[in-house]
Amino acid sequence: MLSDVITPDLFAAAVRIATPIALAAIGGTICERSGVVNIALEGIMLTGAFFGTAVVLATGSPWLGVLMAVVAGVVVSAIHAAGSINLRMDQIVSGTAINLLALGVTGFLMELWYGHPGTTEPIPLLPPVFNFPTPAGGALAEVWRWVDTVFLSYTPIVYMAIIIAIVAQWAVYRTRWGLRLRALGEHPRAVDTAGVSVYRGRWVAVLMSGALAGLAGANLSIEQVGVFQENFTNGRGFIALAANIFGRWTPIGSYLASLLFGFADALQIKLQPFRDVVNIPPQFFMMLPYVLTVIVLAGVMGRAVGPAAVGEPYEKG
Amino acid sequence: MTESKERLPAQRTWMVVLQKVGTPIASVALAIIVGSLIMWVSGYDPMAAYAALFQGAFGSPKAIGETILRATPLILTGLAVGYGFRAGLFNIGAEGQLFMGGLMAAWLGVEMAGQPWGVTVPAIIVASALAGAAWAFIPAILKARVGAHEVITTMMFSYIARYLVSWLVAGPFKAPGPTPASPMLGLSAQLPRIQDLFSESTLAALPFLGLGRAHTGIVLALLAAVGVWFILKYTTLGYENRAVGFNLGASETAGISVQRTIVKALCISGALAGLAGAVEVVGLHHRIFDQFSAGLGFTGIAVALLAKNNPFGIIPAALLFGALSAGSGTMQLVAGVPQKIILIIQALVIFFVGAEQIVLWFVTRRQKEAISGAE
Amino acid sequence: MAVLELRDVTKVFPGVVANDKVSMTLGRGEIVALLGENGAGKSTLMNVVYGLLSAERGEILVDGEQVKIRSPRQAIDLGIGMVHQHFMLVEPLTVTENIVLGREPGRLGVIDMASARKRVAEISERYGLKVDPDARIRDLEVGLQQRVEILKALYQGVRILILDEPTAVLTPQEVRELFRVIRSLVAEGLSVVFITHKLEEVMAVADRIIVMRDGAVVGETRPSETDEVGLARMMVGRDVVLRVEKGAVSRGQTVLQVRDLVVKDDRGLDAVAGVSFEVCGGEIVAIAGVGGNGQTELVEAIVGLRRPASGTISLKGKDITDASARSSIEVGVSHVPEDRHRRGLILQFNLAENLVLGDHRVAPYAKLGIMRLREVTAMARKRIEDYDIRTPSEKIVASNLSGGNQQKVVIAREIGRNPELLVAAQPTRGLDIGAIEFVHRQVLAERAAGKAVLLISLELEEVLSLADRILVIYEGRIVRELTAGEADAETLGYYMTGGGGKKLDAETVPAPPSESEVGQ
Repeated sequence: MLSDVITPDLFAAAVRIATPIALAAIGGTICERSGVVNIALEGIMLTGAFFGTAVVLATGSPWLGVLMAVVAGVVVSAIHAAGSINLRMDQIVSGTAINLLALGVTGFLMELWYGHPGTTEPIPLLPPVFNFPTPAGGALAEVWRWVDTVFLSYTPIVYMAIIIAIVAQWAVYRTRWGLRLRALGEHPRAVDTAGVSVYRGRWVAVLMSGALAGLAGANLSIEQVGVFQENFTNGRGFIALAANIFGRWTPIGSYLASLLFGFADALQIKLQPFRDVVNIPPQFFMMLPYVLTVIVLAGVMGRAVGPAAVGEPYEKG
Repeated sequence: MTESKERLPAQRTWMVVLQKVGTPIASVALAIIVGSLIMWVSGYDPMAAYAALFQGAFGSPKAIGETILRATPLILTGLAVGYGFRAGLFNIGAEGQLFMGGLMAAWLGVEMAGQPWGVTVPAIIVASALAGAAWAFIPAILKARVGAHEVITTMMFSYIARYLVSWLVAGPFKAPGPTPASPMLGLSAQLPRIQDLFSESTLAALPFLGLGRAHTGIVLALLAAVGVWFILKYTTLGYENRAVGFNLGASETAGISVQRTIVKALCISGALAGLAGAVEVVGLHHRIFDQFSAGLGFTGIAVALLAKNNPFGIIPAALLFGALSAGSGTMQLVAGVPQKIILIIQALVIFFVGAEQIVLWFVTRRQKEAISGAE
Repeated sequence: MAVLELRDVTKVFPGVVANDKVSMTLGRGEIVALLGENGAGKSTLMNVVYGLLSAERGEILVDGEQVKIRSPRQAIDLGIGMVHQHFMLVEPLTVTENIVLGREPGRLGVIDMASARKRVAEISERYGLKVDPDARIRDLEVGLQQRVEILKALYQGVRILILDEPTAVLTPQEVRELFRVIRSLVAEGLSVVFITHKLEEVMAVADRIIVMRDGAVVGETRPSETDEVGLARMMVGRDVVLRVEKGAVSRGQTVLQVRDLVVKDDRGLDAVAGVSFEVCGGEIVAIAGVGGNGQTELVEAIVGLRRPASGTISLKGKDITDASARSSIEVGVSHVPEDRHRRGLILQFNLAENLVLGDHRVAPYAKLGIMRLREVTAMARKRIEDYDIRTPSEKIVASNLSGGNQQKVVIAREIGRNPELLVAAQPTRGLDIGAIEFVHRQVLAERAAGKAVLLISLELEEVLSLADRILVIYEGRIVRELTAGEADAETLGYYMTGGGGKKLDAETVPAPPSESEVGQ
């Protein structure tokens, strides 16, 4: 049974499942590092997925859909930015409003544009990037199968996520933008008195998180599932928040933590056919990511400290 | 400078009233206006839509009854979320606690079939509240001990609860038949409809009592509101709750156990949400099934924010959202507007209320700043 | 021509005029002291100059040209720099990162750290402000953090430096060091505005003194033309008693006994490293020390907010080492916290609710969990009267009160509880002279009533005027005990830095002050 479970598919599935969570988590990292909490990642992901799907349905081009998803993510996150930064709202209230708005808008438009709730028509998926032929046989073939599946079988956005994680990590610690970002989340007034605009730095960070969450939504609908279904993000945005915390507010950490969640979910799916053996209902497997999130938070929180000024609106003067 | 500092901002009554009631009304008005814009841009007739909405919510005794019906659990979830907010906690997972309360109600109702109403229903009420509290307990402990953000933990527990119910109504707790649902509760485990309390002749004479599906759970909800008000105003529990919600450091220095207060607050919040679930099961559905009351937890957030966490303010706020919900069906039927617009309006209300409060707070803060002198 | 000139600058907040037609000049190479008590408007004025606030009326001229300063960036571009009272330093980042923030050297967005470090070292060398460029701010002690702040301004190329209450956190020796730095900056062509409320500093370092009161300039003078009494009179508008009268009181029984106390801080290090002392009834024992030497943790241990690692604390013989905050209050320990906004008051509560805070569970204010609001109101009204809290009613929300009145509420509550031991931490921080007088009188009244008082203060004047005995704390240990008669500011400062000043540079460390040096 073990050999049926520990296959290259398992790890590949882990990476695929982790991707949307990771993108949102990295967005969360950047946002929180600037001092703004963004619990609207869930809603932004959903909105990105919807508009991405809509554009693909209208134009037939998956790439246009991806672009639209990112744009939608940026637009929605702008609402959060305006509320949290300029209006100095409670950031969690603002985020909640956006999550609800996303549910409402996507549901409303579903009916308006497609005439029915639930699920859209299927859309063409983005194909995997590489397409190497499989060698005939022999010992090398097995090794190749592993390498190909685990590293080379993915669709574009999956690779983008990895690249983004690495680039973001470098940027946060080595560039001007990164230094100012980190300072913003710890002591915004110090940044202000040094002559750097707090509002602008935070706006950029929030919009970036919106773009990334939108991209996550695109991955979900245009690379994984092939449709848009109401509320199908199913809590990923919140798990992303936990991944960010677990990853200690670093882009690479967020990615790796998301891999952990992805692995748990992939494992759960792999184990489902065996549930007759173990006699556990499928819903219990589906609970696994959420239970894991709670465990992670319980274990990590005591030692994990986020940016000092996160969640506090900034006031000039 | 000592004398001039004593000048305080005017606290005239009309200003206070305006502050408390004006901003929520403005937020709702704004939300409705933006909603109409969305409808108009999408090709619907806002006036017709709102007319249909009004008709569906208030157009007849039965419609009013429907509004009351929908408002009943919202009062409870509003109280739940509002009580949490008072302690500085965001119980976004009230939905999950509601599920568990409902689950307990359905299970106990089936178990206690045959017992008299006077024993069953009170037992269900207490047990559901406890079930809701229990479901909030782990997130509460995690927040108190380790600082784990209750938004994420209660949200996770919400998903877990949903899957739990989904499994139970398809498996161990399933009633025979095609639908995944629990067995129906008998009369002894039901909250009667209001109109069923009156005789035929009374109803014929006083037609406004024909309140359709509205049930006596509303009494429970109103009592809960009074209860929460009493706790907050007159008890040490409520005092400490508010103190911790405003200022952790000062509360700690004064000897208040912040950890215990957080746990109590989240558990009471969970209990109220559990009651909402019970009321839905025992008063409306008479059984439990998958997603039996989705969205009530989130709407509770809007209710609490609109009412600024004031227990009595929650009642009209809940009625407003109950009306929106009750009228949305008619609105879709008559004006063709998708029901989901209600979610959009709710979201706008939350957003505008949140923004209004800050604008107000900012104004009063500048006044205070001026009085104590800029540092 | 003046390097900086203000003409009729007026800044208004709703309800109060913070700066009322203020005019002043700053000459090149001049050190001007802006003197006034807390709330006089000095910081507001300089925040306007630095672009953090905008004035309603008036003009600012830099090098004779009128300018509009709308942000710190513009101020910096004009050559104006400011070192704030509460440091604008990002704790987890390094010295270099903090200094270059906003003007990071590099190309295409990438920071050239090597070049940054080199520039920091250059400036540090040139002005004699030595600091480790790779140290993290949170690991540096306050005096060094201030150095980083000054280096930041110098890195930005300022010609006008504004220092806001720079000596609030320094020992006398560190203050002298700061003055040396200021003089060397001025020698290099900078001009300095020095905001303070401390008279002796102004006399020691300023070329010119501008006195502000209630938002307006009330006078301008030079150290040669005035003295501390004269300045005080200008600051307050009436003759001021610089020290409150302290009568003789007989010492009673031991109330607080602390033995070999070890308390760890949030990072697990020993903040209090073995402290023993006693406080008796009828005496005020003051703990003097530079901030960050364990005072906060010591207080927290005594009042039950932090559990000691080892050692004992007992109150009239009863062991309260591990007592919680609540038990401590019940047993008779009252605490006036050093941060009245974060720990002393709940600003959103009204006065009655604040006055019952801490006693809200016990009779007569509560019974079986239900609060007895009538009793609370009656108590509140009495306290308001007894302690002369300026408010129309007990229902006013605390945030509406002035700082002085807020502190009165805290004191009314803590003393009104009739404690055995009163622990007062920085009780006069940020208060004006009238409020300071009030607090001192209350503390002395407790002493006269036979209570034990433990005072923790950074203000040496306060310590010297109130205390019967003074314990100097340094790096978590009591390094010296002095009676009131034996102590003076110089001696205290000497011991506050470890009786040898290990942290300062060798060439600035004085020998223990001799008679001739006292009163410099």
